[in-house]
Amino acid sequence: MGCSSSLPDGSARRLSGMDQDSAVAPDAKNLRVKLVLLGDSGVGKSCIVLRFVRGQFDPTSKVTVGASFLSQTIALQDSTTVKFEIWDTAGQERYAALAPLYYRGAAVAVVVYDITSVDSFTKAQYWVKELQKHGSPDIVLALVGNKADLQENREVSVQDGLEYAEKNGMFFIETSAKTADNINQLFEEIAKRLPRPLTS
Amino acid sequence: MSAEELSSSASSSSDETLERDPSFKSAEGGGVDERLGSVRLEDEGDVEESRSDRVEDRGGEAVVESNGHGGDEGECGEESLVVETEVGDASGDLGSGVGGDGAVVERDAGEGDGDDGGDVPVLKTAEVVGSEVVGEGSRPGLEVGSEWRRNRTRSNSEIEMDDEQSPSSSGYAGERGSSNGAASSASDINEIVEDDEIREVGDVDGANGGIDSQSDWVPGKRHADEDDASISWRKRKKHFFILSNSGKPIYSRHGDEHKLAGFSATLQAIVSFVENGGDRLNLVRAGKHQVIFLVKGPIYLVCISCTEEPYESLKGQLELIYGQMILILTKSVNRCFERNAKFDMTPLLGGTDIVFSSLIHSFSWNPATFLHAYTCLPLAYATRQAAGAILQDVADSGVLFAILMCRHKVISLVGAQKASLHPDDMLLLANFVMSSESFRTSESFSPICLPRYNPMAFLYAYVNFLDADSYLMLLTTSSDAFYHLKDCRIRIETVLLKSNVLSEVQRSLLDGGMHVEDLPTDPSLKNRTLSPRVGHDSQGTFRESAAGIGGPSGLWHFIYRSIYLDQYVSSEFSSCLRSPRQQKRLYRAYQKLFASMHDKGIGPHKTQFRRDENYVLLCWVTPDFELYAAFDPLADKGQAIKTCNRVCQWVKDVENEIFLLGASPFSW
Repeated sequence: MGCSSSLPDGSARRLSGMDQDSAVAPDAKNLRVKLVLLGDSGVGKSCIVLRFVRGQFDPTSKVTVGASFLSQTIALQDSTTVKFEIWDTAGQERYAALAPLYYRGAAVAVVVYDITSVDSFTKAQYWVKELQKHGSPDIVLALVGNKADLQENREVSVQDGLEYAEKNGMFFIETSAKTADNINQLFEEIAKRLPRPLTS
Repeated sequence: MSAEELSSSASSSSDETLERDPSFKSAEGGGVDERLGSVRLEDEGDVEESRSDRVEDRGGEAVVESNGHGGDEGECGEESLVVETEVGDASGDLGSGVGGDGAVVERDAGEGDGDDGGDVPVLKTAEVVGSEVVGEGSRPGLEVGSEWRRNRTRSNSEIEMDDEQSPSSSGYAGERGSSNGAASSASDINEIVEDDEIREVGDVDGANGGIDSQSDWVPGKRHADEDDASISWRKRKKHFFILSNSGKPIYSRHGDEHKLAGFSATLQAIVSFVENGGDRLNLVRAGKHQVIFLVKGPIYLVCISCTEEPYESLKGQLELIYGQMILILTKSVNRCFERNAKFDMTPLLGGTDIVFSSLIHSFSWNPATFLHAYTCLPLAYATRQAAGAILQDVADSGVLFAILMCRHKVISLVGAQKASLHPDDMLLLANFVMSSESFRTSESFSPICLPRYNPMAFLYAYVNFLDADSYLMLLTTSSDAFYHLKDCRIRIETVLLKSNVLSEVQRSLLDGGMHVEDLPTDPSLKNRTLSPRVGHDSQGTFRESAAGIGGPSGLWHFIYRSIYLDQYVSSEFSSCLRSPRQQKRLYRAYQKLFASMHDKGIGPHKTQFRRDENYVLLCWVTPDFELYAAFDPLADKGQAIKTCNRVCQWVKDVENEIFLLGASPFSW
């Protein structure tokens, strides 16, 4: 996209940066992580987040503008808590150039595709490459095939998803925001894979 | 605010006023001049309004789709085509180029009026508005060269017919439609009706147009299944198109953009034909239809309308649509066309149909779209001050604009030094936020561009809804200010809750603003500060008894626009204007009045008085303010003038509560 994001003039004072919060907070028992969701428009990124954060599912599609920010804390079995600060980005093409704004400094990136759309799987691979190039070097990557409840319309096989994920060292899972299948598992698995601060 | 008084006596009017508007001379004195003037005025008003009556009233009637295209062609035969262009000389070429000598080419505002001048005598203020009606019906100039027009129009419709056979003949068929298939055709707001005979069932256009029924309005794309081959599509009253200068469709209000590739190519061909002659196409009149063109670099915007709105208004609407597009993409999208002339822009606007349809809907209920001013939610002075103080606090920490709004009304806003926010930008920003559902689910951080501030660059907007109606927008130039803005929001929200601003806002929403029934009856009560309704509710008994007759002297409604503040205040609708259809009609009438008062060709006017069977409209423009008032059609002129003076006094008395004073960024 040809839209630049230059500053109109120098009138604005310096503001505190988005990266100022480190990706993983130092407290070993109470982690705080920045997580970003990426993927084509309409694959269900917002639905996954709203299912995870609020336990809701709204079938009417609401196009995300820019990015929404939500947070949710989960407790793990080893009595640590993980607070996810989630950037739910818009999938529209016009926001693609602005994605670095949101994934910069992220500890976790969840790349989502729709199992009923090959195009969205191709788009997911684009995001994986982009993250490998420009994301944090130790970023945790997850590949998510959403809309798993629509088996009859499946265009991307589990095998394809799994193979691609393994090849790129990603965690792979298929979810359904509609039925809540695997949504909590997704975030719990991510939490387990987070690099822990040494000693405690 | 000025202490000027609108005079109802001839003696105190200046000569200039008399000349410009004899009908205003005297209420009681009623000279011959005045009668001539007002009679003429009324006649024209009648012509015009009865027309729009026919259009509106039949909205609900059954469809009689008798003779589809045949009918179209027949109609075309009787229609006339007037081409208005901007650059003078080349227009002759255009005329002969298209094959006739009879083209009525309106070159420029001034020249065009020259054409009208033939059948337009003295009464200038009235004529501005009236002439359009005359023009479409019986303008003498149209008789000449009708042969050419017939040919021309027919060839036009032939083009369309070709398209019908192969709608995608240009070979362009995109895959990624931005259409929102969720549109429900049952509860839509069609502006159907192309000619008088054919109506579509369930045209509830008017019923959904009112300010009170905004919630009834179903957002999203209408009739996504239609294209230019659909009869229903061709009968829509008002179309808006965005296309590229290579003829690719970008947006269409009705129907699927991608199926309209052929139609877009036709529009593009018309524009470039005229441009090749070194001229520019502004307006084509074809019978009741106006086709308005706006060229913005590689982007063309076109409106096809038979709503009888003035050219200036429709052009203003195209400007706003363009502004909305810039708000989403910035003007740097032009570079995509420099790189690739055949660039397809629809994917870039994916998911924004709802933003455009909501803007277009607001053209029929939101006076800000033609007043170029914003309006505030009525609040006690101290309440607004409290909100302003905390916003100012935040703005001092590096926020460019801090805006607190309730629906489409401003609670308070603050700008950093030297930064000023244009009312049109506020309108577009509020429309963008209000129409995009995702802002309501959580806090958001999104790039947006303010076209009047800097069309080339993105700003970053932190948006958060504090409750169902009130939302905070913090704009910054810094792309990584999110966490700072989030902290600002938490501070602001805490203060607003502590000082009860949000509950006051909810109460104001319930109470409404200025009710004409509450207009102070005693003009000597100069120091009145509060109407019972503004700020503090009390169900006055007078109001109850007055239900059904509006305010004093038959006052039904008014809009007061402060030039200095860039703000307006609109009264609540009296019971006489309860139906959304009536409200929409009144807005259209105001809009026409506004256009006529600001017509550069015939100079600024001070007053205008119009009477037709729907209402008496009175408009008064001074260097400080503009007043638009609607009265009962039988209202006495002298009384109406006196009432307008009282309205102005009333507005002045309560300005602390209805306007945002002082801290506004406009005063830098």
